Amino acid sequence: MAENILVIGGGPAGLHAAIELAELGVNVSLVERDTFLGGNPKKFKYKYLFPDLQPADDVIGELIRRAESNGNIKKYLSANVESFKEEGKKFNAVIKSDSGSETKTFDSVIVATGFEHFDPAKDSKYSYQLFDDVIDIKDLERMMGEENFNRPSNGKPPKNVAIILCVGSRDRHVGNQYCSRVCCTVSVKQAIEIREHFPQTEVYIFYMDIRTYGFYEDLYWKAMEEHDVQIVKGRVAEITSGPDNTVICKGEDTLLRGPFEIPFDMVVLASGMEGGPQSPEMANKLGIELDEHGFLKYANVTLSPCKSNKDGIFLAGACTGPKAIADAIIEGGAAAMNAYIYAKKNS
Amino acid sequence: MAEEHNKNSVRPVAEKGEHIIARHLIDDDAIKEEKNLVIDGVDVSGRWNTFIETRVDSEYDRSFFDEIQKTVVGSRINRCWQCGMCTASCTVTPLYRRFNPRSFIYMMQLGNLKQLKKYVDVAWRCVGCYKCSQRCPKQVNPAEMMEALALLIKKYFPEEIKSKHQLIIDEEVKKIYEGMILGHGRLDLANLHTSAMRKMGKTSELLSDKDERGAIFKMMKDGRALSVLRLGKPHKWHKSKDAIDKYLQNTGTLEQESQV
Ligand SMILES: Cc1cc2nc3c(=O)[nH]c(=O)nc-3n(C[C@H](O)[C@H](O)[C@H](O)COP(=O)(O)OP(=O)(O)OC[C@H]3O[C@@H](n4cnc5c(N)ncnc54)[C@H](O)[C@@H]3O)c2cc1C
Ligand code: SF4
Ligand code: SF4
Ligand code: SF4
Repeated sequence: MAENILVIGGGPAGLHAAIELAELGVNVSLVERDTFLGGNPKKFKYKYLFPDLQPADDVIGELIRRAESNGNIKKYLSANVESFKEEGKKFNAVIKSDSGSETKTFDSVIVATGFEHFDPAKDSKYSYQLFDDVIDIKDLERMMGEENFNRPSNGKPPKNVAIILCVGSRDRHVGNQYCSRVCCTVSVKQAIEIREHFPQTEVYIFYMDIRTYGFYEDLYWKAMEEHDVQIVKGRVAEITSGPDNTVICKGEDTLLRGPFEIPFDMVVLASGMEGGPQSPEMANKLGIELDEHGFLKYANVTLSPCKSNKDGIFLAGACTGPKAIADAIIEGGAAAMNAYIYAKKNS
Repeated sequence: MAEEHNKNSVRPVAEKGEHIIARHLIDDDAIKEEKNLVIDGVDVSGRWNTFIETRVDSEYDRSFFDEIQKTVVGSRINRCWQCGMCTASCTVTPLYRRFNPRSFIYMMQLGNLKQLKKYVDVAWRCVGCYKCSQRCPKQVNPAEMMEALALLIKKYFPEEIKSKHQLIIDEEVKKIYEGMILGHGRLDLANLHTSAMRKMGKTSELLSDKDERGAIFKMMKDGRALSVLRLGKPHKWHKSKDAIDKYLQNTGTLEQESQV
């Protein structure tokens, strides 16, 4: 008899895990709370992905198509795991969706519930939601995806754009001390996109460090060397309204050692990633551990990533911390292998 | 004796370092000129006796960092990563560009007294609005670091303070300070500054300096002055007040034994 494995979350990590398991002949139940598959990249209509500016549809669309066409994957949309109980080495779960409740027994479980974007309105100094022209990176992804890169205030293309890094990350005040890892790379990618499609628009990136780790550094170099993106070392402490319908960024240029108050047509906040409400929800429901950053905790971060502290429950993707799609997909595969081995041993 | 030297020297020394091209780039302190100088038996007085000290920093003075870290107000100096959020939010920096909390903290971290000395005239200008501490992502509490800085300047550069400002830390000022702490539970530096000037009979001086006057008017106009004055009392202040009252009865003063 085939194994039964539950995958919670239909983003890149969950999709890839489900596909791999299905190809091994496992009966997969894929539970997604949204009305669609694809996770955050789909929800916010990411258009081109770093590192190689590949159309998102080639990656996310492809994963969705593979999952949808595989008969071994039973999809539950607008769904959630309502209750969850261990029974010996197995797990009983009630899955609630539009089509009612279903109780099933699983040999193992993969949690891939992902992340939430930090809500910049929580950090009032950036005046997000106060001024129409202050947006964040997910808003910009969506605008690019909808091919509508104009100032929300007047529908006209911006003359200049400020991108502010580390919003909601690396900051004791907002409660997130970690680095969100992808926002630097997303930001230089977006700077390139802006400059490529709207060469009249000047782009300035305000940074404290630029963490385009590994080969993502290529994008950073490209942004500067091929697209003349300007980088300014310093932070912005206040955003106020300026003349001619602009917004003023008040900050310090730490290299020039002096304050600036510069008007921009548009400001993009590089808001980071958070564990979201789903991480504690999963921790409570499944009896697994949460880490001090609000994400789900690996049993051993070096030796056994993908394993939770509970036998038979595995973790994949951004639910364990900020990461790029490629990493989320790799973890989806690794978690699938772990879950498969566990199921095989105990069935 | 000095007069004799002057007479005997090849040429009287006029302005310090007057032969240096681009003289404005070099600090007074870095120029060494002896009126009469003999090196290895060769008299190099006059034109050849101007020396410019190297401007390469050649050591970090760690003891200084430790000293600041031991104080209550400076205890978080090890946290600062120089992001500039404090300076970016500072009420005073836009008015006095040389007042830069981030860079002062850096100088304190590295024990660069030589640099700090250049800012003695502005380093005490913090108005205690705490905007920086509200925003600092590392919770360094830069507003209090500025107090650590003030203590430090008082200790290391007493002469500069006297000559530049004739600051008199007298009993009157102490009384204003205590009244403020006991009455409001907070130190309002802008208020302390003006009250102290008033007590010393220097109110007019406050308004005679062009920068200062401009600063005051600008702050009144854009509402910052109000926000500074409107600081509320801390939560459950009466409890702390009782404790301070008791402490005062025993010691007679709020002023700490100078640790810096
Ligand atoms: C603005 C931005 C741009 C980015 N651009 C790129 C890029 O160009 N290239 C790149 O490699 N990476 C990029 N990333 C990173 C990328 O978004 C993540 O790596 C990826 O989304 C992680 O996939 P995931 O499946 O782990 O999580 P998610 O994408 O968050 O998916 C999790 C899924 O789980 C579902 N879910 C959550 N809770 C529950 C629940 N209780 N029950 C059921 N389902 C639930 C969610 O609805 C969601 O569908 C970007 C990130 C940001 C913030
Ligand atoms: S990736 Fe960059 S912008 Fe994001 S938190 Fe890290 S340093 Fe800040
Ligand atoms: S004190 Fe805080 S805000 Fe100022 S530079 Fe240091 S870390 Fe940044
Ligand atoms: S407390 Fe002092 S240093 Fe901090 S922002 Fe206010 S004036 Fe500037």
